This record gives sequence, structure tokens and C-alpha cells, in this order.
Amino acid sequence: MLRFVINKMRSKKWMILALLIGNILLVSIAAGNPMYTHAVFQRTITKKLETFLTQKNAYPGQITFKMKSQTDDLARVREHEAVVQGMPDAFGVQALHSISHFSAIKTSASLLLPRDDAADLRLTVSSLSDLDRHAKLVAGRMYAPQPDEDGVYDVILSEKAIIAQNLMLDDVVVFSRMTNAQGEPLRLRVAGVFTNSSSEDLYWVNSPSYYSDNLFMAPEAFEAFFLSTEKLPWQINGTWYVLLDYTAMRGDQVQRMLNVADGYRRAYNGNAVRSYNDHFSEIFTGYLASMQKVQVTLWVLQVPVFVLLCAFIFMVSRQMLQMEQNEIAVLKSRGAGKAQIFGIYLVQSVLVSLLALAAGIPLGMYLCQVLGSANAFLEFVRRSALPLEITGEALLYAGAASLLSICAMTLPALRYARTGIVNAKRQKHRRAAAPLWQKLGLDVVLLLVALYGLYSFNAQKEILAARVAEGAALDPLLFLSSSLFMIGCGLLTVRLAPLLVWCVYRLLRRWWSPALYASFLQVLRTRSSQSFIMVFLIMTIALGVFNAQAARTINQNTEDNLRYSIGADVVLQESWDSTEAGGEEGSSLGEVTFFEPDFGRFEALEGAQAITKVYVNNGVSVSAGGGASIKNVQLMGIHTKEFGQVAWFKDTLSDVHWYHYLNAMAQNSRAVLVSRNFAQQYGYGLGDSITYRNKNNDSMRGVIYGFVDYFPGWKPVAYTKGSDGLYHETDQYLIVAHLQQLQSAWGVLPYQVWIKNRGSSAYLYDFARTSNRRLSVFLDAGAQLIEKKNDPILQGTNGILTVGFIVVLLLCSVGFLIFWILSIQSRSLLFGIFRAMGMTMREVLTMLVNEQLFISGLSIVVGAVVGRLSARLYMPLIQLAYAASDNALPLELVSRSADNVRLFAVVAAVMLVCMVILGVLVSRMKITQALKLGED
Amino acid sequence: MSDVFLSASQVKRCFSTSGGDFWALKGVSAAIPRGKLTILKGRSGSGKTTLLNILGALDKPTEGDVLFDGQSIVSMSERSRARLRRTQIGFVFQSVALIPMMNALENVQFALRMAHSRESHAQRAMECLKMVGLAGRMQHMPQELSGGEQQRVAIARAIAHRPRILFADEPTGELDTTTGLQVVKIFQELCRREGVTIVMTTHDTGLMEIGDAVFELEDGEIISGR
Repeated sequence: MLRFVINKMRSKKWMILALLIGNILLVSIAAGNPMYTHAVFQRTITKKLETFLTQKNAYPGQITFKMKSQTDDLARVREHEAVVQGMPDAFGVQALHSISHFSAIKTSASLLLPRDDAADLRLTVSSLSDLDRHAKLVAGRMYAPQPDEDGVYDVILSEKAIIAQNLMLDDVVVFSRMTNAQGEPLRLRVAGVFTNSSSEDLYWVNSPSYYSDNLFMAPEAFEAFFLSTEKLPWQINGTWYVLLDYTAMRGDQVQRMLNVADGYRRAYNGNAVRSYNDHFSEIFTGYLASMQKVQVTLWVLQVPVFVLLCAFIFMVSRQMLQMEQNEIAVLKSRGAGKAQIFGIYLVQSVLVSLLALAAGIPLGMYLCQVLGSANAFLEFVRRSALPLEITGEALLYAGAASLLSICAMTLPALRYARTGIVNAKRQKHRRAAAPLWQKLGLDVVLLLVALYGLYSFNAQKEILAARVAEGAALDPLLFLSSSLFMIGCGLLTVRLAPLLVWCVYRLLRRWWSPALYASFLQVLRTRSSQSFIMVFLIMTIALGVFNAQAARTINQNTEDNLRYSIGADVVLQESWDSTEAGGEEGSSLGEVTFFEPDFGRFEALEGAQAITKVYVNNGVSVSAGGGASIKNVQLMGIHTKEFGQVAWFKDTLSDVHWYHYLNAMAQNSRAVLVSRNFAQQYGYGLGDSITYRNKNNDSMRGVIYGFVDYFPGWKPVAYTKGSDGLYHETDQYLIVAHLQQLQSAWGVLPYQVWIKNRGSSAYLYDFARTSNRRLSVFLDAGAQLIEKKNDPILQGTNGILTVGFIVVLLLCSVGFLIFWILSIQSRSLLFGIFRAMGMTMREVLTMLVNEQLFISGLSIVVGAVVGRLSARLYMPLIQLAYAASDNALPLELVSRSADNVRLFAVVAAVMLVCMVILGVLVSRMKITQALKLGED
Repeated sequence: MSDVFLSASQVKRCFSTSGGDFWALKGVSAAIPRGKLTILKGRSGSGKTTLLNILGALDKPTEGDVLFDGQSIVSMSERSRARLRRTQIGFVFQSVALIPMMNALENVQFALRMAHSRESHAQRAMECLKMVGLAGRMQHMPQELSGGEQQRVAIARAIAHRPRILFADEPTGELDTTTGLQVVKIFQELCRREGVTIVMTTHDTGLMEIGDAVFELEDGEIISGR
């Protein structure tokens, strides 16, 4: 049977190839998801750990385990040591260093040979494991592990300690109260002074200068003196530092490590005896939630591509079965049972699936690499390669996808296995009935479901936004309903298309050339075979257009929102000196005078194209009529001309160019612009005066010269967590006044500096480094944009939409070719008749071109429209997933004509190739042979 | 011989097959009389269909010439041959070769359309269908007609554009005797009433005497002619 199947597959190699392509893509996408998420998890976790390292300047893999109270019980010390030793294994991460720091409780000591200037000494005798390997001696020598013949132990000190304690090399310190078993007091000789061997050395969790009163004995010596009896001679403190190698921490260990850390905390914290602390738990906790979101978002984005792939596989299998109908019938008449025929197809599909698995998993890996370097839609950058590996999860997903495709491949066979030769012939001559889905009205049902989904999601938009703000992933149903919408539209078109064609046909049939006439009738009367390719084409094009638009929109809106909410390329604010030490502006009621730093330093910056001062105060209140007052109004003090040059604003956000508002305001020094909601909710009108006061209750009056819907740096709506724990939309109010006016009334208060860059903002980092002022605000739109683009969700979205787009193009090409080639092959008799009746080759080709135009052209146009429509309907909701909380601007659908050009160029190219192949096929066709073919 | 409409002289046709060249026709000469019913007879494989295809400008001979009303169709371009088929020739094939997506009337009309006939298409098509006795089933799709009915539609289609010559390849091959006779009767009538020249192949010896001229082929050669 296997032999038979392989022979059969060989004879249909093109169909098998198409099936393989579909299957490989399916497997690679299925396997790619877990591989990608895994790798992104890995990359994110590494990045987060590294960020911690650079920002907090502390080792992210550090665990600090402390005996909080001193003890004189050796067993307790040993017990702690055992716990520490078990930590690397418990976490499953190898430790770079495991440092134990013992110290005897600080006590008074005296010099053996007292000096005049010697002060009272209070010192801590300590030991640090492996100190000799990590310390560099600046003077003296390293300690010896054994006491000298007089019983004096060597110690070394940090540079800080020898100065702070006023000791000198070779001083001998006597601890009269610390005695050994023989009653002899501990005597220590200052042998050397050390510093850290290198500033990079991780061993120095605390820098040497931290140990300013510690005398370090050799660990062996310390052990021998202090830790050799059950009852210790002196109270001991212990601190252990375990440095887990954070570069070896893996995404899939995170959960386990969190559990282990929790276990330690539960066991050791909360009492006075000891404490456990680590740096990574906090990093991991936030990470787990965000990763869940990534996974759901990616899955949801892949669903349409998945559906399309399955549909493709199903379509190709069905076509192949149709071609083999006769063979099946022959087999059946020879006595092959249903099971045997089904078996043949099962074996075939398993073979295809196995091949696909072998090729699909490496391809999946490659796809992930592509995903990882996606910067925007169809745009890639060189990033460090993702740490990809084939995980068990990936294999599981790939296997599941294979099973699914085996089902898609064998299900149609089930039907054909039932029909015998008589049935097959009979069916061939029967007029095609409307397909099942049409009778059931599936298209209308799907559309209704999709539109209901849209409606209900729109109704709960606020809740949806709130949930996303809380960190939840987007509801997968939302994406699903956009896919359903596309399928529904496709099916509806297939239902309606004949009607349209029929109308055109009725209107014009009198004037058509025979070729046109024949092709019209072909389209009109044999629609069942075309309906699938039509739905498929519509879906493909719609998905392509949708993906392109979704990606562009998400990226553009993210960027716009970012730029808008920052307001300019760079916004910074220095902390100013004031008469109130450390006082923040507005925090006290008393008069505070601020000292303005030299603004000329900014004006001198070479990299800045334009700069301006902007005073921002979020705590202004306006008293509305009837005693009510609007609190937390945002007040901006600007210099209109400069502000216009510096601030980022999109023209589409207001009906007239926003400069008109600034110009209007510039007419009068008391003029203010206020947000539209003042007019809508409090009835202010143009020319009304408005009074606002700051926290010091200094009031100002302005005349309203304009109402703005949007203004750089101002969010019209904010999501805040209410007392019920839910997020709510709250209106934000804005007053824009002249800076000069504010300064003359309220004095010069700390303002922000808004900068428009010539090029990159690198120069500002240099400026910040050399300036000795702290920056209380530093917002760099460029840097934040890069950070946004590295966000795994956005990156994955771009990647998947891109890959989906490419898959769509590929499927579109293959599906298209297969359909047309088969359609030609099955109609060779018809062409023979046409040719015999005197049609020229050219006319036959014209006929084919016409047919293409009707079927493919119509599908492509409808697909493009459906794609746009679904983007228009669903994007506002989908967009929520990406920037719900800082979404200030109205969603603007972005489509790049380049994407559409690309999509349609590929489609056109495929159609052209297809036509060439068809042309060759048709012209090779001998009339006489074609006619013979018909005589079966 | 003014009443010869179509003549073949020393027509040879070679098909290259995997087992070497195969000569389907080995130098056939025949004269088809104008306005008469000519029958090409022979066993299957004798080359009669090949000859018919060559006479009907569907195929080119490897050697030899065919004169169509005095004009060589061998030297014609593919375009002119197509035009010739469209306007002057009608075909009826052994297996019924109706256009599946058109109903009976449309099938017939299509031939008129192809030939750019100036007549009213609907009228002429109905006339032809009436002639073959199918006036009542004009709106039926090919799949809904019986074999004989389909064959008659094919004939109606073949004659609709008033071709000067009609080729029929085993038109009765898949029909029972009665229906077959009916078809042949239609052919006779066509010759008589419309003056169409008809060439048909058959292996049915019962039909021989109906022909005005009969050529018998065997192994690519004419062994007898009448």
C-alpha cells in the first residue's frame, strides 16, 4: 500500500508540492509561536536583569542571607551554611560566588604597644571567604592562615579602615575579652592593607570601604579561633551572599525560581532570627504577567493565518480528490472497501505531514528569527539574534498542527470514499446544487456574529480599555470576530457575485464577442468550482490589506501618541535651587523663591534646532459658576511663537492649522486657550474670562481666545483607578496662557525646556552628564520610541503581521496557480470544441483572461474593500491592546500605498505568471488530442 | 469535375510515438462530391478520424494537400483555418461535445455568434433545433438531455451557421440503431434541402447504402471507393 501511495503521490507531484507548502507553513507557524515566545521571554528576562544591573548598579542574581541576631551556638551557624550551600541547586542556577562573611561582635581593643595619639579602638574581627583571591594588597603582605609562634594572627584591613581606625602596619591589636580555650586573649597583627582587585569584580557585593572597622583574619584562622567548639567563645554574626549567574537564568525557570524564593521568604523572613533577600524576585513578578499578554496577543494574531492555511490545505486536498475521482471509482469497482480508500489517503496525508514536520520546524525557527528582527511592518533591523531553541512545547504545537492538517486532508476523502463509480458518473452530470453553507446561510450568520461582536465590544470599550490598562491581554474574540467578518464577507460575495455577473450579462450579451460571451457563461454557470477560490482569494487579499493596515496603524499611532504626549523631541526640567531646601515647587504654602539656572546654556546647544520654555502646572483650579470648582486643571505657560516651532503636533488633529490658535492667542497678552470641555461642560464661550488659581491661591484671569481639542503634551482623557478598584475615564482640563504673563504674576517658577532636535538627541546626554544639575524630568521621544519598538508585544505583532502577510502572498500565489491549471486541464475538451468551432488561439486566451478578470479581479477588489472595511471597523478596538493607557489621540487608520502596491504587484505578477503558464498549456493543446480526451 | 467540393491528394499523416513513427495515413486521395453525403468507413484504427480531422482543417497532414473548394488548406495560416472552420465548416463529434454551461438553444446560438452570422440568432437557432426535432427542449442544459438528444443538438449547432460542409465523426457511434437512423435521416435531409456537403465516418455497415459516396479505409489507405 505504501508503494502504491508513493507512486500515486509521484504522479501528482504538483498537488503534493502544494500540500507540502501548506503543511510546512502550518507547522512552522504553529511551532514558531512557542519558540518565539520562549526566546522573547529569554531575551526579555536577560534584558530586564541587565537593566537592573546598569540602573541599580547591583548584581541581579544576588541573594543576601543573614543571621539577624548574633549567636554563640555553632549548630545554628552550620545550619545556615547548609541552607546557603543548597541555594544554587534549589534555584537550578549555578552560583558565580558564594561568599560568607562572619564577624565577631564589635568590641573594644587596645594596641599591644600603645601610641600617644591612639584613640579608643572598637573593632570587628571578621573573615570573608576567598578574600585572598579577590583582594589586592596596597601595602604589607597577605595574612597567613596560622598564628605565629607567639600565637598572634595576621589580619588585613581595607584602606578606609586603616585610616579610620588610625592603625599602622605591624601594629598588634589585643582583644582582652576574647579568649581562647586556654584563656589567652586574641592578638591580631596588621599584616597588610587591601583594596578590591578590580572594580568589575562581582565578589565585592560591598566595596572594601564598606568594611571600615573590620579586621579580616584568614577564614581558616577565624574558623579555628571562633568556630571550633559547640559553644562559641564569642557572639558571631553571619551574612552570606550568593551570586547566581543571571546570564544562565532561563525564561522557563522563572516560575520555579519565584516559588523557591517564596519558600525561602516564608521560611526565614518575618522573624528576628534571619532574613532572606534577593534581587530577582521583583524583576520576575512583573515579567510573568507581561509575558502572558504577549502569548495571547500573538496567538490571536495568528488565528486568521491559521484558518487560511487550513482552508488552503482543505481546498488542495479536495481538488486532488476530484482529479482522482475516477481512480477511486475504479478501485471501488475492483472491490476496495471504504476503509481501504480512506486508508490510502490517510497514509498519504501522514507522509505529507511527516515531511512537513521535518521541514517546518527549522523554517519555524527561521521565521522566529525574522520575527525577532522586525522593527515595523515589512521592516527589519539587525538585532542580536534571539536565543532560539526547539522546546518540547514547540514540538507539541507542531504535532497538533500536523494532526489538524491530517484531518483537513483526509476529511474530504471520507466523502469520496463513499461514492462508487455509478454515483461518481451520475454526480458529474448533475447540475451543481447550492453548497451547504449557502443553504444554511452561513455567510449571513458569520457576518451577524462578527457585527454583534463589534457592537458589543464597542459598547464596552471603556471596560475593555480599563482591563488592558490593568495589564490584561486583549480579548481573543475581538480578533476572531474580525476574521469572521472577513470570511462572512467573502462568502456573501460568492453568493451575490453571480447576481452581479448575471446583470452585466443580461445588459450586454448582445454585443459581446463569442469569447467574452463564453467566458461570462462559464463564470455564471459553473460557480461551485469557483466559489472556493473566490472565498480564498477574498480572504487572502482582505487579510493582506488588513494586516498591512493594522501594522501600520499600530506603529504610527504608537509613535504619534508618544510624540504627542511628550509634546516635543525632548522635554526636560532641571531641579532649581530655592529658598526652601529640598522643597518641591508648590509643596508648601509659604513663599518660596526659585533661582533660575542660566537658560543660555540650552540656547548654546548645537544639536537643538529650536527650544522654548514651557511652564507646566497640573494643580491649578478653576472656579466654575455656582461655587463648584474644577480641580487639577493643567496649566501651560508658553511662548506662542517658540512653542509653535518646537512642539510636535499633527495637522489632522484640528480643523484649522493649530498655528491659527497660537496666532489668535498671540494677539492679547491676557489671551488663553482652553480645552473644549470647558465649553461643553461649563458653558464657557469665546471671549469669556476665566479665573484660575494655583495652590498658593494666587489667581489669574484670562480671556478665552480659543477652544482646543488637542494640545501638545496634554491628554484629554486619563484612566485612573477609582475607589472601586476599576479604571475609569476622567476628563482632563487644560488652560494655555502666556508664560510671560504667568511669570510676571507668579514669579519665575521652574519651567520645562522643550527642545526640537536637529538630528539625534545624543548631545543632550552629554549635556546632562556635564551639567551638575539634577534633571527632574527628562523625556526623550526618540529613545522612548526605540524602547517601544523593542517591546515584545509590538515586536511580535509587527513580526507576525509581516510573516502573515508574506504567508498570505505565498498562499495566494500557489492557490491561484493550482486553481487555474486544474481548471484548464479539466476543460481541455471544451477548448477543443471551441477551437474546432473556429475559435483562434488568441480568442481562447482572451476568454481565459476574461474569466480571470471576473473571478480573480472581482475577488481581489472585494478582498481589498473587505480588508479596509474590517480595519476601519475593528482597528479602534484592537489598537486598545497596544497603548490603551497612553492613548490620547483619536485613532487614525494608516495605510501605506507601498504595502498595497506590494500586495497587488505580487498578485498581478502571479496572475501574469499564471496567464503565461496557461497560455503555454493552451497553445500546446492539440485540438485533435483535446477532443480525443473527451471521449472517455 | 466541378462537383468535387473537397479533395485530398496523397495525404500522409505520421504520429511520432515512443515506439517510433506511426503512419496513420499512408497516401490517401479522395474527392468529396459537393452537396452529397460521403461516408468514410473502416474499422477503428484504420485512420478515418485522422483523415476527417485533416479534411476538416483541424489537423495538418505530414505530406500531401487538401483542396477546399479549390483552395489549399494545408498552406493556410492557423488564423485563416480558424476562420474557415468558423464560417464554412460544421463539426459533429463522436462523443457529444456540447458546451456544458450553455443550454441547447445557447449552444446553437453560439455557433452563429462565432460565425458572425447576420441572421437573427434566436430565430435561426430555433429553426435548426426544430429541424432536428428538439423544439420543445431548447432551454434544457446538456446534462439534462439524453445521448441522442445531445447529438441532435450538436448537429443543430453544426449546421446553424449554414456551413458549406459538415463533418461528423461516428455521429451514431454511441446511439442505438433507431436513434442512429434518425440522425442519418437528418443528414440526408440537410443535403437535399440545404445543399450541404456532408462527410461522416462510421463503422456501422448498415448505414453504408445511405451514402452517396463511400470510401473504405484500412491501415491508412483507401481500399475501395464508390
